[in-house]
Parts: sequence; structure tokens; C-alpha cells
Amino acid sequence: MKKITELMKEKRIYFDGGTGTVLQSMGLPAGQSPELWNLTHPDKIIELHNMYFDAGANIVKTNTFGINREKFADYRELIAAGIRCAKTAAGGRKDAYVAFDMGPTGQLLEPLGPLKFEDAVSIFADNVKAAVECGADLILIETMNDSYETKAAVLAAKENSDLPVFVTNVYDAGGKLMTGANPAAMIAMLEGLKVDALGMNCSLGPDMMLDIIGEFKKYSSTPVIVNPNAGLPEVRDGKTVYNIGVKEFSEYMVKLAKGGADILGGCCGTTPEFIAATVEQTASLPYSLPSEKDFTCVSSYTHAVIVGEDPVLIGERINPTGKPKLKEALRSGDLNYILNEGIRQTDAGCHILDVNVGLPEIDETEMMVRCVSALQAVTDLPLQIDSTKSDTLESAMRVYNGKPLVNSVNGTEESMKNVFPLVQKYGGGLIALTIDETGIPETAEGRTKIASEIIARAVEYGIRKKDIIVDPLALTVSSNPESAKVTLEAVRQIRALGVKTSLGISNISFGLPQRELITSTFYANALQTGLNCAIMNPFSAAMMNVYYAYRALNMLDSGCVDYISYASSASDKNNQAAAAKTEETLHTAIVKGLKDSAVLKTEELIKINAPLTIINEHIIPALNEIGTAFEQKKAYLPQLLMSADAASAAFEVVKRNIPTEQSDKSRAIVLATVQGDIHDIGKNIVKVLMESYGFTVYDLGRDVAPEKIRDCALEHHCRLVGLSALMTTTVPAMAETIRLLNETDRSIKVIVGGAVLNQEYADMIGADHYGADAMDSVRYAEAFYA
Amino acid sequence: MKNSDIMMITADAEKIPFNQNELAHRLGVARGYSDELIVRCTEKLKNIVDFKCVYIRTPVIKKKENICDFGFMSVESRNLYNNLKGCSEVFAMALTTGIAVDRELAKLRITSRAEYFVTDGIASAAIDSFADYASAKMRGDKKCPPRFSPGYGDFSLTFQRPFLERLGAHALLGITLDSSCMMTPIKSITAIMGIKDEENN
Repeated sequence: MKKITELMKEKRIYFDGGTGTVLQSMGLPAGQSPELWNLTHPDKIIELHNMYFDAGANIVKTNTFGINREKFADYRELIAAGIRCAKTAAGGRKDAYVAFDMGPTGQLLEPLGPLKFEDAVSIFADNVKAAVECGADLILIETMNDSYETKAAVLAAKENSDLPVFVTNVYDAGGKLMTGANPAAMIAMLEGLKVDALGMNCSLGPDMMLDIIGEFKKYSSTPVIVNPNAGLPEVRDGKTVYNIGVKEFSEYMVKLAKGGADILGGCCGTTPEFIAATVEQTASLPYSLPSEKDFTCVSSYTHAVIVGEDPVLIGERINPTGKPKLKEALRSGDLNYILNEGIRQTDAGCHILDVNVGLPEIDETEMMVRCVSALQAVTDLPLQIDSTKSDTLESAMRVYNGKPLVNSVNGTEESMKNVFPLVQKYGGGLIALTIDETGIPETAEGRTKIASEIIARAVEYGIRKKDIIVDPLALTVSSNPESAKVTLEAVRQIRALGVKTSLGISNISFGLPQRELITSTFYANALQTGLNCAIMNPFSAAMMNVYYAYRALNMLDSGCVDYISYASSASDKNNQAAAAKTEETLHTAIVKGLKDSAVLKTEELIKINAPLTIINEHIIPALNEIGTAFEQKKAYLPQLLMSADAASAAFEVVKRNIPTEQSDKSRAIVLATVQGDIHDIGKNIVKVLMESYGFTVYDLGRDVAPEKIRDCALEHHCRLVGLSALMTTTVPAMAETIRLLNETDRSIKVIVGGAVLNQEYADMIGADHYGADAMDSVRYAEAFYA
Repeated sequence: MKNSDIMMITADAEKIPFNQNELAHRLGVARGYSDELIVRCTEKLKNIVDFKCVYIRTPVIKKKENICDFGFMSVESRNLYNNLKGCSEVFAMALTTGIAVDRELAKLRITSRAEYFVTDGIASAAIDSFADYASAKMRGDKKCPPRFSPGYGDFSLTFQRPFLERLGAHALLGITLDSSCMMTPIKSITAIMGIKDEENN
């Protein structure tokens, strides 16, 4: 028998329809797992498959949708029985295939959920191994509403079988997955992972899928599957039914086929009659597989960024080179600093963020994986994974949710040998540097030649030319006067090769005064030469000015809408700064909770005041004022927290001006929500206030074991510990923590707080202080360290 | 497989007036209090919430005292049993604000504790308000006791799992559970709402 991927080149193929719908009509009670019938009612399952093959389906889905090792201890037997039933039905038929059906695990992956990415891969891998042993013809990953889980399932399928892999996701009426991805993002990721067919199923009827099919037609070079529901469920005569009938369904399927759907079938509510009508109506329609699309794109878990005529900004700020604060954050594992840089660059208008965490003294791979995962919880921009180490690249590409941009490969044999297989396996846009064993050529022609060689070699690895973005390297103009000219000529020549280009812009001005002048002028020249991507500093107004002005001048910004919005916002900021200059003081800015003004005022004060003076004479008195107002119920918690935010922002400015070795770690507190308790709002409020008062906070999070709290206090020589609990059931854990701390070092003092506590409880469990609210805890800490 | 008797309710955030009592309680402010921060966070939240509810109408059989059998799960709970007195049918529902709220909170946790705290409070009030809205739609002119959720009284949280499974809440709403039966998206609700029998109606 031909492979399904061969057959689909010749003619349109068809999936079966709903499983549950038919099984319920055969007597399966609502709410019972249909998969159990593989063992208990195999005759019914075979009958189901036979009905669909008879209706004209080429592929039946095995009755294994919900099976995995987490849900069924006997998952292997259930899978084997499910595949056996489908193969029995397919036996002796022409063009009849068995798709091993794999649905979601039902758990959300990290960082928002609890399931680790590799655990998800492992769960799916066990399913795939069982399916391969039993002789499935292909793997169908279906009803996936999360791009990340989809990736885990595809990797498991690819790493444990040679079978064709088909994937269908669940889109909502807005054309997005539950976790946010649109079709372009899913197509980018899935084509990178080299699936054999992709598309959509479930949730929507064929009418609503018509609104989305155009996106697939536009972006997909891979055959598109459409398996809709029979419309939406509604109640008729006390029974739930789907609202699209057989005839109407097949008429919509004709429109879908004409609109770009290659492989057709059904999902919930559809029966063999739906499939028979669909086959009858669509079999004679003209059919050809999708053409190869020429987009260069990368994606995040929500959207794709197309690299084309519209310039792409790649934020360079997460790279320790020349950034002492970032270096310090990486050494101490302070992800918050890095995430903040990510969020700020997102807000500043970047399209992609470069992530480079290479420092000799840290485990780069481990830190890169942590950063990629954490950044993807707070920004929806695609990331550019930037490392010279291939094992770091691989680990990050594996856990990345989407199709990453990979920085970089170069023309050396070693680099190509190491990096190409990664892009071949995981997918990705790839930055190619025009450097080889002999160094960086001095001429544009030399650089273009290396680019050609890299492209040719990449294609041998199955990497598409469109996925290569060449960086001809901007070298410092102060040491080489021809540098800018050569680089721009190389951009022009490399464009002619039919690939996109990128440059690290800032390097051009290294060693010169007023660098922004040179950098932004060079950027304007590069854009004019046709540069596609710039790795740049989005906080540089000069650079952003060039970007917005260039787009307005080159018909890339219809009606100059983006330019006008940018220019007005820049003007607003100037006005705010002017207002802050005249009206506000740091004190009033903090009391009113005005974060931006507080930063501006602190920046002014720091020029003429010692850091400690600002803390003691401006920040603390302002916090005390709002704190007192809160205690007297003249201000509410949101106001107190706004002020704390403003004070923290001011404090950050002060901290930047205190040399690292002089920062005061003596005023410190360990904070934790005790073991068994997951409520952390109260603890977090205390943390904010403590930090705004300048205390160093070691925040251990929630559900923390007593030993961990003790170890942290000992490690940092911290003599003050704050414990929080919301539930009565966790007060014993609090008592146990206090007992352990007392036993270890009686000089360690413990503040307790939380909804269930009062002075009496606090005394009973041996706490040193009962923090009635966050301010009260701060006051105690102030007195303790006075 | 997804069960075919599951119904869905969605709503535009603009149509749902957020529960002021819940908001005041969560933020520690007086009822009706508002300020620039609360207004700003509310507007932002309205742009990202994606209210969705799935529900089924199903019989409840009470063969023994304190035991309620819904077909897909049998619950031993005195509080639930009492709540469902006079009801031989119930609505079982799951509702969520959608995962974008979790992402926004994760971001605010880094950038602004004040906005994080306020947005968290507003989102709690929002899902509560949507639950009221969806319950009213289901109820129509029937009489129903107050909603009762796993985790209330002695109705164990462990019932979240069969409950969500039966409602297809993962496929339809994207709700998942961790090992402690806590839901993601974090602003999600599951609940049983009894339907008073005709003679009591």
C-alpha cells in the first residue's frame, strides 16, 4: 500500500467523522470513556470504522483520543485494541489508512501550568511507541488548543517514529487557539517541525471555519486538513443536537475545498452520512496540493512575524555585553530584571527580542532555558535565541513555544555542522554571519560569497532558503573607515541572492562620541539599502525616530497612522517630563503613586545628592506619609501599592548609583507562605513594601517547607523571617517553622501574618511579632534593624 | 471524545457589570470606591477577558443521605446534599475568563505590584459576575438554590477532575488542573446549581 503522503499527492483524501456521536447512538452512556470499548465492545468499534470506510473515508481515527499513561494504567492494551479494531476494518480495502489518534493530556504546560515540557513529550512518546508497535499508518495529533502542547506531541511523534504526522488544532470563532495562536503562528511552527499535514478540527462548524480557511491558504505550503463539527450544539425538544444537517454540511465543505482545504472530514456531531455527502460533493472538484509560499517568518505562541519589506526591530537589550546590571542579574539568577527588560522592549515597539545570556561563570544552557521559558510567560514576541554554543541553542530551541529565530550560524564547517541539524529538526529562522575560517572578508563580494555557500549547504540539510537571514556584519567605523560602505554594499548584493538581511546596528559607532548620531544615520542608510532586520536598542529615541520616519516615507505606514501615534506619544512624554520638572517633588510623586515622575525626580536628585540621602530624606518620609494615611484608613490598599511601586522605581534608580559591592544587604528579610498554603497575595504586598523601604527580600514563594526557610536564613545570615498563612490548616506548618528556626538560632526573629492569624495565635505558636498588616510588618522591621 | 450534550454561553465583557461587592472585598476598599488605577486596570481587563461557560443539565439521584449521584460522579457531601434539597436535576457548569488574564497577571507581577493586585481583584469580581450572568441565562424562570462549587464546605476539590472531564472543559474552555486540583486559567469557576422540582417551583 502507498504511504498516505504519496496518495494525497494524487487525489483528495478524506477523514472519518465523529466518534462519540456514533458510539452514543450505539449505546455508550454519556460521560463514560469511549476508549474502554476498545476492549469491552471491539465489535462496535470495528462497526464504527467500517461505517466510515463504507462512506468513503480513506483515514479512520483510532478510538484512542483520551488515552495516555496518566489517565489509564493499561494504556498500552487500550491503544493496541484500538488500533487492532481500526486495522480489522481497513483490512482488504483499497486506500484505507489507520491514523493513531492522540488528543491533549488535559494539563497545561509550564510556565502557566504545572506540566513540564519534557514530561509532556514523554507522555506522548509512550503513546507513539505503542502505536508504532501495533502498526498504525500515520499519527494524527488532534483537538489541540495549545501550541506548546502541540509541539510536545509532534516532537514525541517525530522522535519515536517514521510515520507521517498530521496535526489539527482547535480554533475559536476569532481564529485563535485557546492559548492565543493564530493560523500563521501555528503554520510557522508546524512547518518548522516538518509535519505532513496541518489544519483545524472541532469547536466550530464548517460555516465558521470558512472565515479562517483563507489564512491557511495564504500561509501554508503544507496540505490543509479541515474536520469541522456539525455546527454548534443547541437544545431541540429537550435534546442537544448540532445545528447543521448533512446537506448543508456538505455544501459548506465544497466551499472549504474551494477555499484551500485539501483533506476533508468531520468531528463532533458528524456521522457517516456527513462524510458520504462530503465525498460525493467534493470528489470531482479540481485538486492540487498547496504551492510553496515564500514568506520568511518566525513565530511566538500567538503570532508570526513576517520578515519582508516592512523593517523588523530586534531588541538587543537582553545581552550582557557592556551591561553590568544585566551581568549581575545573570550571576545572581535575578530573572525579574531580565523579564523587565523583555517587557520594556515589547512596550517600546520591538517585533522580536534577542536573548543572549552568555557569561563564562554561569551555566549558559540552564539560564537560557529558564529565560526563554520565563520570557514567554510575559511577552508574546518571538525570541531570537542567541548563543555561540550549539547545546545551548538546542536546549532553548526545544523548549521554545513557536518558531524561533536562531542567532547564529556562520560559514565555518564546524558551525554549519553543529547548527544546521538543529534547525532541520526544530525549525527556525536562522541568522547567518558572513564569516568563515579565514575571518570576515574585507569586501562585499567576499561576504556575499560566504552567504551563498551557507545557503547552499543549508539547503542540503533540508533547510529552506527562505529561512536564512544573512547578517553581513557591521564593523566599527572608527577603526575601519570603509566598514559602513562595505556592509551596505554587502546588504545590497545579498538581497539579490533572494534572502533577507539583518545587521547588529549599534556596533558601527563603537568608540565614537555621541554614538546615537552615527548609529541612527547608519540605520537610515541601511534601511534605504533594503535591510530587513535590525538588532538595535529600542530605548534609543534616535533609532525609533528613523524607524517610524522611514516607514512613513516609504508607504509602509498607511495614512502615517503609526508615525502620528509615535510622535504624539513622544510629545506627551516630553510634556510629562516638563510637568514633573516644575510641579512634582520626589516626595509628592511617591505619595501620589506616580512611577514615571518618581523616576525622573530621582534621576535629577541623584546628580547632586548621595544615594542614602535620597532614601532617608525623600523616599522613606514619603512612604511613611502614605503608610500613615493607610493606617488611619484615609488611603486604601491600591493607593498604598501605587506609592510602593513609585518608591521601588525610585529606589531602583538609587540602587543603580550604588556600586554593587557597597549595596546594603544587612537589612534583609526572608519571606515565605508556609508549607501547604498557596495563597501569596498578603506575602507579596509585604514584599513590595519591604523592598520600597530598601530592605533586601529573599522571597521563597508559597508552599515552602520549614527546612528551606531555615536554610535560606542561614545562607544569607538573615535574622528576620516573615511567614504568611491564609488557611487555618496551615498554621501548624507555621508553628513547625518557628520551632525549627528557634532551635537553629534563637536570635532569628519571626513576624507572622495572614487572614487566619491574630495576636493570640501568634503568641501561641511562639512568633516574635504579629504583623497586623503590611505597614505594621515594615515598622517592626525598621525597629529591628534600627 | 467530547460529549454532545454540552451547551456553551459566551458574553462580551462590556455586557457584564463587574460585581462591586466582590471588588470592594478583594481590594479592601469601600463599596463603590473607584480611582484612576482601578478604572485603568478595569478597561485593560475588559479588552483581554474572553468569558466562556459550558454547562449540562443532568439528573441528580439521592439514594442515601448526604450522597448525590450525578451519573458522572457520586459525591458524598452533607453541604451539597442540603443545598440540593428539593432538586432532582441540576445544571453543572464551568466558566473562565480565559488564559490571557493569567498572562497579564504574570506580566504585572514583574512590572507593577499595584496593578497586579488591583487587576487580580477585578478579575475575581469579573468571573463572579459572569457566573451570575450565565446562571441567570440557564435558570430562566426556574427556581434554583445558590451555586455550589467544589471546595465549598465538605464538597471536596478532588471532584474538579471528573467534573471538568464531563463538561469537556479542557477542549472547550482550556481549563486544566494541577495535582492540587487548582484550575488554570486561574480565574475559572466550576459549580453545581440545583433546579427546584416543579412542585417546589
